[in-house]
Amino acid sequence: MEQKRPMIHVQDVRKVYRMGDEEVVALNRINLKIYKGEVCCIFGTSGSGKSTLLNQLAGMEKPTSGRVVIRGVNISAMSEEELAAFRQKYIGFIFQSYNLLPSMTAVENVAMPLMFCGMEKRRREEIAKVLLKRVGLSHRLYHYPGQMSGGQQQRAGIARAFVTRPQVVFADEPTGNLDSRTTEEIMKMIMGFARKYNETIILVTHDPGMVRFADRIVTLKDGNIVGDERKEGYCE
Amino acid sequence: MRTGDLIAVCIQNLLRHKARTFLTVLGVVVGCCSVVIMISIGIGMRRAQEKTLAQMGDLTVIQVHAAGKGARSAVLNKKAISRMKELEGTEAVTPRLVQENVPITVYGGRDKRYRASYATIVGIDLRVAEIMGYSLTEGKWQPGRKNCIYAGQNLAYMFEDTKRPEGNNMVDMYSGDLDENGSPVMPPPFFDIMKTPVTLELDSGKEDGKKVVQTMETVGKLKEDYAKGDETYMGMIMDIDTYQSLLEQQARLAGKKQEQQKGYQGALVKVKDIGSVAGVEKEIKKMGFRTSSMESIRKPMEQEARQKQLMLGGLGAISLFVAALGITNTMIMSISERTREIGVMKSLGCYVRDVRKIFLLEAACIGLIGGVVGVIVSYGISLLMNLAALQSSSAFSDVMMETESVPSALSVIPWWLALFAVLFSVAVGVGAGYYPAGKAVGIPALEAIKHD
Repeated sequence: MEQKRPMIHVQDVRKVYRMGDEEVVALNRINLKIYKGEVCCIFGTSGSGKSTLLNQLAGMEKPTSGRVVIRGVNISAMSEEELAAFRQKYIGFIFQSYNLLPSMTAVENVAMPLMFCGMEKRRREEIAKVLLKRVGLSHRLYHYPGQMSGGQQQRAGIARAFVTRPQVVFADEPTGNLDSRTTEEIMKMIMGFARKYNETIILVTHDPGMVRFADRIVTLKDGNIVGDERKEGYCE
Repeated sequence: MRTGDLIAVCIQNLLRHKARTFLTVLGVVVGCCSVVIMISIGIGMRRAQEKTLAQMGDLTVIQVHAAGKGARSAVLNKKAISRMKELEGTEAVTPRLVQENVPITVYGGRDKRYRASYATIVGIDLRVAEIMGYSLTEGKWQPGRKNCIYAGQNLAYMFEDTKRPEGNNMVDMYSGDLDENGSPVMPPPFFDIMKTPVTLELDSGKEDGKKVVQTMETVGKLKEDYAKGDETYMGMIMDIDTYQSLLEQQARLAGKKQEQQKGYQGALVKVKDIGSVAGVEKEIKKMGFRTSSMESIRKPMEQEARQKQLMLGGLGAISLFVAALGITNTMIMSISERTREIGVMKSLGCYVRDVRKIFLLEAACIGLIGGVVGVIVSYGISLLMNLAALQSSSAFSDVMMETESVPSALSVIPWWLALFAVLFSVAVGVGAGYYPAGKAVGIPALEAIKHD
């Protein structure tokens, strides 16, 4: 396991926010290696720094010090344009509030990341339809987000996250707005995709119930990693 | 992103808030209209002015007058003429020969029945007569033909009938009745000048009564043109060489030295275009001659027109500026509503440059639609204005039946103004969208995962 190159390598990442005159340490020297195919749950209560860590991992914010290396590339040093290209190729996102664009149909929403890559409309929508069928929305292809339930929207969100076959998918409280039955369904779906394509999933949550879906649980508290356990039986 | 996708996204966004987009576009339409209408009125004014000037005289012909008779003043001779021909911008030059000191009587009809004593006779280079702006109502220019004249439009009325008593021996061209339209009909002259040869007699002025007599054929009838001179009206023009040889014969009979040694009294210089008039005129003045052209009238008029046009355009531009503020406002509003969306797009890998393009394109779209609709509406308004102007002037023009020209339009929109207006509206849109687009670009991807 140590010989393998980590998919995500967090090196000494520190993040300090300045609130007026006060400095708030959100992340305090985090070191973390996440490998390909791992479903890693970043668990912590609100204020533990888990969201901040997600931001650093996904390149949404630059760390105050230290760096985040994904697939051997230091994303902390990337420009906005480079990050955009990197996200197109390697990263997928699942959001708590689904974040489908209301002016686009389900197909258009799912095809959106491919549009950013410059793929032709017919081809990308073909791919999007396949994905939507796989998440069970074949009857909602041309519906707008406003015409779909929360669970359906999140399923479209999942399809969108996986449509580019990314290496890493970040899921930020993906079931935060859903009831428990739908939660189960959604999580199983995410896991299904992850296992099928051997993808790395970073699952950020404060819900202890979610922990059971993950292979690895990294617990954060006050900006420090206080626990890092792998589930037994998971083949490394 | 592909251009097609960019356009599709931007149209999708514009259609999301139809009322807002419509109102913003309406602002641009009004702004564009006011610019176009104002400028078109300016152009209309200028056209009307140019027409008036053109009626007053050919704008590109400079009249050159010989300087005084002093020994040191420049002589307007053949050498001077050929120097003028070589000036930059000159198209043609002809000397203009007039002889006032020699009594010339013109006879027409059988046995010299009809006589005209005061006809103005002008000699020019007939090869360039047409270029100089002389035009014929009858006949054709025949530069090579010997011994022929081109009669002024009303030359025939200058003749008196020697067989009738004094007081009843001329046809008054104004004595005719009015026709059904109320315009006067000219009574026919004694003879048709086109069909009757005329005879010129140049008196020697001596007691011996010797004369130079030359019969000439009339091969053309000139259109009257007051700016050109009497010759187009109550006189005639002929080939300058013929005229000169007649004058030389007369001088020999009179035993006087030919005055032509001193040069011509005047010349006409035709310039290629209006822009070269001032330069050529200056050069001729440098050669030591006096000049006159429409330029001295046209210049200040044009300047004034340009000022007015600028002022009108400025007034129009104010409303377009207000429309630009409207676009900026709409864009800022739409961006602040779409903050999260922009964050989502960025986190899904949308390039920063594409975000900028989307918003600039939206603003440009508003400008384009506003511009196109504005131009169409402007054409409509312009048409209505011109119709209204025509209506109100029709009563007036009844009186002025003689002016055959249609009253010039109040507002003129040339194709380049329409094109300019559309492009300018697009530019205004892009300009107005620049700041909001910059704002949109600055929105971080982080917005996507903010929990609210």
